Amino acid sequence: MDITVLSERLGLEEDEFLELVELFVETGASDLGQLEVAVQEKNVEEVVKSSHSIKGASGNLGFTEIFEAAKAVELNARQNSLDGATEAVDAIKEHLDRIAKKISGQTG
Amino acid sequence: MMDEQNLTVLLVDDEPIGIKVLERTLKKEGYHVIIAHDGPEARILASQYQPDLILLDIIMPGEDGFEVIQRLKEDPRTVHIPVIFLTGKDGLDSKMTGFDLGAVDYITKPFHGQEVLARVRLHLKLSLATNSLISSQAEKLRQIKDAQASMLVAPDDLPGARFGVYYQTLLEAGGDFYDVLQISDEIYGYFVADVSGHDIATSYITSAVKALLNQNCIPIYQPAESMRMINNVLEEILQEGKYLTACYARLNRKSETMSLINCGHPPAVYIPQNGEIELIHLKGDVLGAFRDVFFELREIHVQKGDRFFIYSDGLIERPGDKNVWTEGMNDLLKACRELRDIPIMDSAVRLRDMMHETTTAFEDDIVVLGIEV
Repeated sequence: MDITVLSERLGLEEDEFLELVELFVETGASDLGQLEVAVQEKNVEEVVKSSHSIKGASGNLGFTEIFEAAKAVELNARQNSLDGATEAVDAIKEHLDRIAKKISGQTG
Repeated sequence: MMDEQNLTVLLVDDEPIGIKVLERTLKKEGYHVIIAHDGPEARILASQYQPDLILLDIIMPGEDGFEVIQRLKEDPRTVHIPVIFLTGKDGLDSKMTGFDLGAVDYITKPFHGQEVLARVRLHLKLSLATNSLISSQAEKLRQIKDAQASMLVAPDDLPGARFGVYYQTLLEAGGDFYDVLQISDEIYGYFVADVSGHDIATSYITSAVKALLNQNCIPIYQPAESMRMINNVLEEILQEGKYLTACYARLNRKSETMSLINCGHPPAVYIPQNGEIELIHLKGDVLGAFRDVFFELREIHVQKGDRFFIYSDGLIERPGDKNVWTEGMNDLLKACRELRDIPIMDSAVRLRDMMHETTTAFEDDIVVLGIEV
């Protein structure tokens, strides 16, 4: 993740961008928690909802990998399928952790 | 509101990060940003703050973007505000739906800051250009309307004339016109006219007619003579095809005589204190079309409390039924009968209201003038 590139793309200063990423890490963690539970409980409706939130937020910041993973889960769930959802949750978690670490280094 | 330094953008999205990104991006460029998190909030803020542009997310819980734009476009307070859709969808179908509903553009998520700003700038420019064109045109017409309004006599200005009036113009420059003049101590002239056409030239004509009435409705002229004089001047100054219909009533309270002239206008209504209501049908040419005009004169011996209504055809016209007044006339007579006990000052407005129940759509200007002996 190149913070300079991502923030430039959005037309923001780096510190502004980092502030939003912090917000994303918080809300993303909570959305991801909900997604994880929903997948375990096979609650398709909740899966759609939480994956849609993650997709929107990550897309808006340009976190393409998370965006694509969440999008795939949402599309599948809309077709009533949870295929690949567990793997996607893991992948999203990994990316989110990496982002969290990176910005704690930058802002901390 | 149209200060370029302070353009306001309303952001509508249920996703907090997206809102923050757009808010920051827009604020940096100097826009004033207001935020709504769902459809109903968006509609309230839009009508309250009148933003210059709305960025609207399509997928939202509850009211979605399509529903929101539909409602915004139905509301006269928000119909003019340009809406750009924010969407993760890139499907052509949803884009076409959005354009059909009145969106001016799309921005596809994930956003690219420069793209957002470029589209916002473009549509604000278009909107500003359109609005300034409209407002400069409307301003011209408003000046004329103000001038027209200042020409109109209010019942309180001339209490001795004992009249009530209802006056409504459909467009900024109306084609209907009325005037009340004091000719001598006990003699008043009442004039209602309908100028053909509905353009700016029409309102210049009404100013000319006002001046002509003052010059020609004087004690030495009989009503028909006054109208002939006015006709001859109008015939000189009006462009071809322009004319006006009018009804002129001259009331002498001393001799208790009402003199009526009709220049191709709907008949006046006579409501005697004792006796049957009557429509005063009179032969007469329109004003301003040609030189050799003829007007039939009707003189009525009146008594205190007798009333007359003169009006323009907008009062009795039915939508899509421009030339048949029969049905409207019957309603008019019925309404006049019921209005006998209403004070004359209020009667014209009441008469219009009563006619409004039957003629639902107004396609024309309306003047109603009620006179009491």
